[in-house]
Amino acid sequence: MKALILSAIIAITVVSCNQKNKETENNTTETSTNSNELYACSMHPEITGKKGEECSKCGMELTEPVAQVEPIHEENEKTQELKDTTKLPTNDVKEKVIETKTPFSINAIVANYLKIKNALTKDDAKAAAIAGKSLFNDFNTINSNSLTTTQKKEYLDIADDAKEHAKHISDNAGKIDHQREHFVTLSKDINDLIKMFGTKQKLYQDFCPMANDGKGAIWISETKEIKNPFYGSQMLTCGSLKKTL
Amino acid sequence: MTRKLKKIALVFFLMFVAIQFYQPKQNVSSSFDIGKNFANNYKVPPKVLNSLQKACYDCHSNTTKYLWYDYIQPARLFVENHIKNGKKELNFNEFATYSNRKQQSKLKAISREIKSGTMPLSSYTQLHQDAILDETQKQEIISWIEQTINKE
Repeated sequence: MKALILSAIIAITVVSCNQKNKETENNTTETSTNSNELYACSMHPEITGKKGEECSKCGMELTEPVAQVEPIHEENEKTQELKDTTKLPTNDVKEKVIETKTPFSINAIVANYLKIKNALTKDDAKAAAIAGKSLFNDFNTINSNSLTTTQKKEYLDIADDAKEHAKHISDNAGKIDHQREHFVTLSKDINDLIKMFGTKQKLYQDFCPMANDGKGAIWISETKEIKNPFYGSQMLTCGSLKKTL
Repeated sequence: MTRKLKKIALVFFLMFVAIQFYQPKQNVSSSFDIGKNFANNYKVPPKVLNSLQKACYDCHSNTTKYLWYDYIQPARLFVENHIKNGKKELNFNEFATYSNRKQQSKLKAISREIKSGTMPLSSYTQLHQDAILDETQKQEIISWIEQTINKE
């Protein structure tokens, strides 16, 4: 019996100690000394090395200082230099790198939206959830820095909302009715995005007068044929083509 | 046999006592940013605001009114987790940080949830009787949201 009580006391102290540890745990940020700064050839910016070294392509001295970005972007960086990358690259350099890699385009967003739409026409809540997740990721990875200030503001206004609907569609694989509720507003958001940025693909705006509690709702489709995502097999061909985008 | 049972009961009791020492941070903040707060950005009629505060704010704002049994573990863990998820979904104290479109969507969602009775959750209203909204209160909220959305 004594042993039992003793062990309980130990348990209590362990629990309460743990708690304190958690609270005092703070994020120590490492500041690294930047001794191994990288330099690039002024003619061949992809060639980098330490100061004083020569370019392997033209033999010129490496003179251009390189702001260090994530190691994935720097092929020449050795793994042992990884610790230096804890120093954050200056913002504008980072943005430039991403900008040149992915110019702004809503193609991926539209593609995943259409996937959700097609899943909903087939009453496939699971597939809709998977596509919803991809759409959510699209919104998180897309870089809107190449847009003008007004464009960006408008884009973010829409994206903040659309992202949320994508998330809910992805989280409700078991509740297709709930997915469809979110699909109503998501469709409006996507419609407005297409209005702003255009589309390469031929797209159609369709209208279902019954959806959204009888208030009616639009959806975007890549086919001229009507396939209603708000009701699926219940009334698949219900709806009308409003316009071509 | 009874000795063994007694021992097991004692172990459970001691575990119950031990877990009481784990008290996560409470969702109680004395101040909030007026610029972000819902009631400072919308003209909410006092009746509607009162209903929302009673029925929603415990999980959807930065201040929870805890009841005595909320402090007892393991209920405490359950409650904190619940609040965390609730705030992620909707936080009235940070309503204005959402983009305009998202605010509209949120208002529509609030109206929808209240109309369908999904919110406030029945598991919550069972223990918080004063959070139950009657038909008039529901109608007040819904019609106010309807007006606000149509205005914009």
